[in-house]
Amino acid sequence: MDPIVRLTDLHKRFDALHVLKGVSLAVQPREVICLIGRSGSGKSTLLRSINFLEEPDAGAVEVDGIVVTPELDARVRRQRIRDIRLRTGMVFQDFNLFPHKSAIDNVIEGLLVVRRIPRPRAVQIGESFLRKVGLIDKRDEYPSRLSGGQKQRVAIARALAMEPKVMLFDEPTSALDPELIGEVVRVMEDLANDGMTMLVVTHEMSFARDAADRVIFMEDGVFVEEGPPEEIFTTPRDPRTQQFLQRYIRG
Amino acid sequence: MPQSRARAGIPFRYRIALVWAAIFACIIAFLSLIRLDLGFIGEWWAFIVYGAGNPDAWTVGIVATLYISLASILLAILLAFLGALGRLSKNPLAYGLATFYVSLVRGTPLLIQIFILFFGLPQINQQLNRLFPGFEQQFPFISSLLVLPALPTGILALGINYGAYMTEVFRAGIQSVGRGQVEAATALGMTPGQTMWRIVLPQAVRVVIPPIGNDFIAMTKDSALVSVIGVQELLWRSQKVGVQNFRSMETLLIAAAFYWIMTIVLQTVQSQIEKRLARSDR
Repeated sequence: MDPIVRLTDLHKRFDALHVLKGVSLAVQPREVICLIGRSGSGKSTLLRSINFLEEPDAGAVEVDGIVVTPELDARVRRQRIRDIRLRTGMVFQDFNLFPHKSAIDNVIEGLLVVRRIPRPRAVQIGESFLRKVGLIDKRDEYPSRLSGGQKQRVAIARALAMEPKVMLFDEPTSALDPELIGEVVRVMEDLANDGMTMLVVTHEMSFARDAADRVIFMEDGVFVEEGPPEEIFTTPRDPRTQQFLQRYIRG
Repeated sequence: MPQSRARAGIPFRYRIALVWAAIFACIIAFLSLIRLDLGFIGEWWAFIVYGAGNPDAWTVGIVATLYISLASILLAILLAFLGALGRLSKNPLAYGLATFYVSLVRGTPLLIQIFILFFGLPQINQQLNRLFPGFEQQFPFISSLLVLPALPTGILALGINYGAYMTEVFRAGIQSVGRGQVEAATALGMTPGQTMWRIVLPQAVRVVIPPIGNDFIAMTKDSALVSVIGVQELLWRSQKVGVQNFRSMETLLIAAAFYWIMTIVLQTVQSQIEKRLARSDR
């Protein structure tokens, strides 16, 4: 099968800092990939390069057959970036819910504005996704009245409502109190079981172990080691991976 | 002892009321010393404040003051929004225009700006007529924009002036909305314009409404400056009546009293709005 996401030799610099040093990756449809590594290893930058919240300096990003390279003509490039964003959903560490909109209005915002679906239909779709994340009873609450876990589940529903081909999760549980992590992880596991293609930057090793098809350990802007979770977590080959995972295996 | 305790028991607000009463008493004493003509005030205040007795003149005095302030603040909001977008733009032309506008307007007196618009624009019209004979006949609309009557000129000057000050307020309001909001909207596929209108501005408005209210109140007082080009607002009318009757103190006090009442009313409205905003703050 053709990969749904293909990254080819991606480079990204922030001034003197070389954050991505030629990363390549092919993601198969329905695959769940967890990116692990220390903060500053480039895993978030890699994820954010896929929907162009960060613009790679060099290399190609391909999502669902749409290819974007830095060399493209500006207008063509902008259109293709938009097409890629319509095929990817993103979930952020800090939720980034729109505070001036209720849960349902957060979920349908993209449907109304980007997909231009009439409001009654959009509300139907939005409600079905709120139901999916178990928050239909919070339909009219504003984000300030939701717990962190609930906010993140609304944020997941908001991304899912756009019916993306790929979901990108940028440390979705890192801002949560420990007792709220479970409810978000459960929603993500359901999603993985439903066959969603997922790229997850995470420190939540239990999720990586249980739900990932492939785990990638990143350091200094490159992939150090990748493989199925049972392999990475039990018999990591690279000493850097071993050292990083020590805490999680023994702890 | 019980007496002094009783005095200590007078609530603070009553003491303040006492102080105010004392100040008013002093003012009344001062006014009677300069032999203020209360009869004159009673006879003329309605004519000065809202043109009573003159059916053609309902847009004068306090109505003109409020009307000028409202129109000017709307123009200022528009200019401040454009200015803020320019200040936040990476385009050198937009950024340069915005910073030049703010610097020039904030760096020169409002009174000069009013005069320049009032006397300068007609001069442009004159020169255009000289350079292109028949300009006035061919482009009567542009020509009429250059020779504006006093009222629209005053609104233009106040709007341009306040717009420059409010540009910084709007910029801060827009910047107060976190980057994460823009990223979330962008990730959903929204264009920069949609993100601005649907996500950033509604949140920025909450931040800028209180300062806009303050500026509006200040505007009602600064609008007195347009009396210098003959707009028949509150100060102009009080001056005209006062000078003609050698009773300037009386008419100026009428004007001052009504500016004061206006700002007290507007401040009350303002604090109500702020309370409501705070209540719905999420």
